[in-house]
This record gives sequence, C-alpha cells and structure tokens, in this order.
Amino acid sequence: MSDPDADRSASVLARLVGPFVDRTVAERLVISVAAILLSIALGFGIVLVSGRIAECSTAAWTLPFTGVGFCYDPVEVYVVLFNGALGYPFAVGEPGLFNAGWTPLNLSFGLTLSETTLLIFTGLSVAVAFRAGLFNIGTQGQLVVGGLATALSILALAPLLPAGPVGGVVLIVIGTAAGAVGGGLWGAIPGALKAYADANEVITTIMLNFVAANVAYVLVLEVFRAEGSSVVATEYVPEYAQLRPWLFPTSSDFALVALLIGVGFIGALYYFVEHTSLGYDLRTSGVQAAAAEYGGVNAKLTTVRAMTLSGALGGVGGAVWVLMSEGRWLASIPDLGFDGITVSILAGNNPIGVLPAAFLFGILKGGALEIGFRTDVPTELVAVLRGLIILFVAMPEFFRMIGRYAGLGGGGVGPAAEPDGTAGGEGGETDA
Amino acid sequence: MRNPLSSTRFMEGLFESDYVRSLVVGTVGVFALLGLLGLLFPDSVAGDLAGIVFSTSTATSTARLAAPIVLAGLGGIFAEKSGVINIGLEGLLIISAFVSVYAASVVGIGNAVLGVPALAVGFLAGIAASTLLSAVFAVVCIEFKADQIIAGLAVWLIALGLAPFMSTVFFGGVNTPNLGANVGWLYSAILVILATAGSWWLLNRTAFGKHLRAAGENPKALDTVGVSVSKVRYAGVLLSGFLSGIGGSALALSIGQFVGSGETMVQGKGFIAIVAYLFGNYNPLGTLGAGALFAGLDAIQIRLQQLGYAVPDTLVQTIPYVMVIVVLTLVGRTQIPEAAGEHYETEE
Repeated sequence: MSDPDADRSASVLARLVGPFVDRTVAERLVISVAAILLSIALGFGIVLVSGRIAECSTAAWTLPFTGVGFCYDPVEVYVVLFNGALGYPFAVGEPGLFNAGWTPLNLSFGLTLSETTLLIFTGLSVAVAFRAGLFNIGTQGQLVVGGLATALSILALAPLLPAGPVGGVVLIVIGTAAGAVGGGLWGAIPGALKAYADANEVITTIMLNFVAANVAYVLVLEVFRAEGSSVVATEYVPEYAQLRPWLFPTSSDFALVALLIGVGFIGALYYFVEHTSLGYDLRTSGVQAAAAEYGGVNAKLTTVRAMTLSGALGGVGGAVWVLMSEGRWLASIPDLGFDGITVSILAGNNPIGVLPAAFLFGILKGGALEIGFRTDVPTELVAVLRGLIILFVAMPEFFRMIGRYAGLGGGGVGPAAEPDGTAGGEGGETDA
Repeated sequence: MRNPLSSTRFMEGLFESDYVRSLVVGTVGVFALLGLLGLLFPDSVAGDLAGIVFSTSTATSTARLAAPIVLAGLGGIFAEKSGVINIGLEGLLIISAFVSVYAASVVGIGNAVLGVPALAVGFLAGIAASTLLSAVFAVVCIEFKADQIIAGLAVWLIALGLAPFMSTVFFGGVNTPNLGANVGWLYSAILVILATAGSWWLLNRTAFGKHLRAAGENPKALDTVGVSVSKVRYAGVLLSGFLSGIGGSALALSIGQFVGSGETMVQGKGFIAIVAYLFGNYNPLGTLGAGALFAGLDAIQIRLQQLGYAVPDTLVQTIPYVMVIVVLTLVGRTQIPEAAGEHYETEE
C-alpha cells in the first residue's frame, strides 16, 4: 500500500480489519444462525405463495381457521428437507419421535455426507484466500483443472503400476497430488496477476472459471474423450484407484475415508493459519498489508502463496470429486466452488467453522433430492435458500440493528462494531 | 494505485485519450483487411469468413446477442461510478428474462392490456422485476453496509434459483414454453443505441453524472457540497437494474422463450457485461464497442459452425474472458473509481 492519501489508507485499513477484529466468533455464530433461520422463514413464504399460485386438484395444506388451500405444504417441505437428508431418523405421523428402523448408514445420509465432504475442500479453499484478504471466486475453475489433472494422471500411470490395493493407494496419492498441483497452478495465476500487475482478483478469478471450464471441455472433447462415450467425459479410472464407499451403500458415492481426509485438512489448515509463521504472515497481510510489509513480510509473495494454496485445496476438491463421486472427469460439474464461497462465508472464513457449514449445505443439497422425490415443490427452492443465506450473512449490520431494536444491545449480538465514522465495519475484501 | 507511478501514468494516458480511438481504428482495420482478402480470394477461408462477417444474418444476430451485454454493461457503469460494485448483473438479466416471458404469456400473444400489446407488457414487467431486485441489492449494500461483492454474488445465486423455481411452479418445467412470437432484432439494435447515447449524455453532460462520479471518487466532497451520497448511489444501482432489465427482456423476448436449465439462457452474459465495461474503460461508447465485439465473435462462431468449419465454439467463447485478463493485467486497477466498494457514512 504505497497510497499517499493517508486518510484513505486509514479507512481501507479499518475496513479490512473490521470483519476479523470487531466481530467476535460468537457474533459470527449468532449472525450465521440468524441468517439461516431468516432464509428458512423467507423460503416458507415463497413456498406458500407459489403454492397458492400453482394449480393442483387437492390442496396439500390448508391455512388454519381461514380454509384457504395451498398446493404445497411448507411444513412438509422442511420436514422432508432436513429429515430426508438424514434418511428419516424422525418418525413423522407415527407414534414415537424416533424412527425405530433408522440406521445412520442409509443412502440419503450417504449422499448428504458425500456433498459435505466435497464442500469441506471448496469451503477451505475460499476460506484460506479470505484470511489473506483475497476473495477467491475461482475455486470452481481450480476444481475443474485439478479434477482433470487427477483423472489424466491416474489414467496415464495406471498401466504402469500393478492393479490392486497397493497400486490403488499409490495412484490415489499421486492423483490427488496432481489435482493439488493443477489447481494450485491455476490459482497462482490470479495471485501473481494481483501481486505484480495489480489486477483485481475478483474479476480475474471469475474469468478464469469460464476459461477453465471451456478449455477443459474442449481438451476432453477433442483429445481425452472416452471411446464411445455419449457425454464429454474421460475414461473411468480403475475401480481400485477410486475412493470406494465403505459401510455406506455403494450408490451413495460416499467414501468415509474422504470425509476423514477432509476433517484432517481442516485440522491441518487451522494449525497452519493460527500457529505457524507462514500462517501468521498470511493473516497479517490479510488484515493490514502495510503493517505486514513494515514487519518484513513480503506481501506480494504472500498473495501468490495464499492463492496457490487456495487453488491447491480447490484442486484436491476436484480430485475427491473425480475419485469419489464420478470415477472420471465429466463435463457437467456441479457448482461446488460457488457453494464453497457460501460455506466459507457462513463459517466466518474459519477452517473449524467450515465443518458445520459444509454439513449444513450437505443437508440442503441431500434434502433437495428428497424434495424432488417426495413433493411437488421444485428442488430449485434449495438454490434460492442458498442465495438468501449468502445475502443475509453479507449484512451483519441488519442483525445488529435488529439486536439494538430488540433491546439486546451488546448482549446477544456482540459489541456494536463501529470503530469510527468512515469505517462502517464490513467489507472484508474489495479494496479498490 | 500500486503500480509504479511512471507506468501508471503511461497506461492512464494510453487508455484515457487513445483507448477508444485505437479500439475503433483497430476494429475498422481488421474489417477492411478481411473485406480486401475476401474480395481478392473469394474461394478461400478468408472469402468464407468475409462472407459471414459482412452478411446481414451475422449483423442481426450480433445485434441480438449484444443487447444484454451492452445494456447490463451500461448499468454496471452507473452502479460502479457511484461507488457500488454490482457483480449481480447476471442475476438481474436472469430475473428480467424470466419475468418478461412470464408476463407476456399471462397476457397472451395477440392480446393486450389497456391497449398495450403482450410483448410490451412483458418488456415492462421484466424491467420492473430487475429494478426491484436491484433495489433490494441497493438497500442491502447502502443501508446495511453489506460487502458488495458477496451481496452481488447473492443476487446472482438467488436469481439463478428463483427463475427456474418460478418457471417450474408456473409451467411445470425449468424452461418456459415458446411464446410463439418474438420481437425483431431491430428493436434490440435501437434499444442498444438509444441506451448508449443516453448513458453517455447522462454521465458526461448532466449534473447527475457529475454527482455520480463524485460519489464514486470522492464521496466526502459530494457530502460537503450538500448532496446525499446515499441517494446518488441508490440512483446508480437502480439504473443498473433498469438497464439490465431492458437487456434481459430484450434477450428473452427476441427468442420468445426463457430457458432455465444449467446456467439459464443468460449463460454468463452478465459477467461478460462486466468485462465489456472494464474493457470499454467505463465509457459507454467503449462498452458498446466491446459488447458488439464479443457478440460479433459469438455470431461469427455460430455461422462458421453452420458452414461446417470445426471451430470448437467453447474455445471462441473463451476469447472475451482471456482478453479481459490481459487488459486487467496491463492497466491494473487504476481505472476503478477510488471509493468503489467502500461504505460511506454521512458526517453530521
């Protein structure tokens, strides 16, 4: 920051410091929970209104006392969403609260955990960059590149290694490393452009998402497409080199070992960010670049490192997606990177918080399938909820105001954080 | 402002005084060369290419494809000049595209409400929906001081879910049925030209334009003069919703259908719009040029494929994205309004 305008530097500083110093962990938690509840309430309204508009022969739900009928039952939607995502542990309409026949090792819960696992990696990817004061919207692209690197490297090496568990483990390790390198290199591009050419990483990462998707698509279409495949996809990697379901039903595509690796990454990253000197550099240059530079931190290099690490995590996410979910690289890639942004924001960009946030989103995505099976409500409802949650988490000031009006003051929502007139508290990124 | 001063000055000079001119000269030059080659060697690839580039069908589809990009891009200029970065343009295009088709289908093609034909009703409804969503975005950013990038993402994601959701509620699928009628390309072209000229005039020749630029560059000064920074920023964001609404409606009604599968029929045009105004250096004319260039590339690519040339269309679509990365690398962030992304509180 060689900005001559001291006034402006001060305000930028306050803006960057705000989210990490003023907002306590407790406050973040309250805001996240409040945002989720508010989104669910709004979703309730949306289901009601659209249930009034949609046409059906018999009303699924009738408003008490008024007799006005609705085509969709909003209560049922949420029961199916949350209960269904876990495989119906709670008995509905039957005597008894718990479903006696329920086991945690069911298909629906497996699908939910599968989504959770993938979101852990993309959530961590976004969170690491955020801690360094960088907004990585490019996790999606890094995942695409990483996943392709994984699939191609395993397909290339598989014939050279013995088929079987030993060869499988070696291939999985090499493939995941290739994914990390691929995603890391792809993430290093916006990092280097930001550090040395001052190109806004928000724009470059969005652009690189499109570039990654398009180039990978053409590469697979023209060069690496599996013979006779009707979709744009590579060959399947050998089954012994995939992360296979264990305990859970095979069709859930959920490997417990992948979730454990994800949890291990969370711990490792938490330790790295909070307890290592490199992690300290990363945090300080995120919070106050000028001070970090003064303290001997190479801010430019830290920017590149942070984006590379972030990209590598996105790449590992791509590797897990290939090895666990699909078994091959497939052109129709789910929006895991964008969901990772939501997960990270909901987690307050804290690696530990990524676990519950990823699990919540796993439930939402797993539950969306159940909504599709069991109700007439369009599954896109869950996508709307995702957007609403982001919107509400982005406006903590709204909840602070509600807190103040409700007379909670600093009690419920933490200290009212407004250090000075120009700072305004929020806006962790986007220094112009 | 982090570039070494000398290089910053050089780039600034290049882009401020000569940027639009070199863009125009370059474009005209390429066209002239292509026309010449096409005339000299009519049977070669160049001949085919010239035939495509100078055909009316390419021109008309360029006009259609450019409308959402240029209009949303112009909207983006107003928002960002006022100090609010609106990366939710994509969402605004999606919501107006859906609502315009829905409203037109409710009225019914061939019918009219109070003498206004269905397609025009659809047009107005799409603009209203987009403006409404941008108003929500404005309140969240200005009143509740949300992070603009995150809130913009939320606008995109909400629209990306809501439009297919509503389409399924109303029509039983994420894609609406075809209206059976559409507006011609000429309307798109006229809208684009009018909006570009109007935006240029508003930005450069009115007091509002001055206030808008001040709100983005130096809100404190504007406040001192007694103009409400919030009000100016609201106006900027609402204008971005209004213009994107025109763009989204023009896109959907020129086809007569809303397609909600995948990334919807908008397919990243809102992000290309951001690219277009950055590429056009926040100048409406430059935005028009960049938008027309990207749309033209897309149109040529479609025609090339019809002629049997195996150009992977996804590669051609990548060109605008790569171009913007190159441009951003060359000019850095020096062009972005100083206070964009910052919250402003009145000092009383």
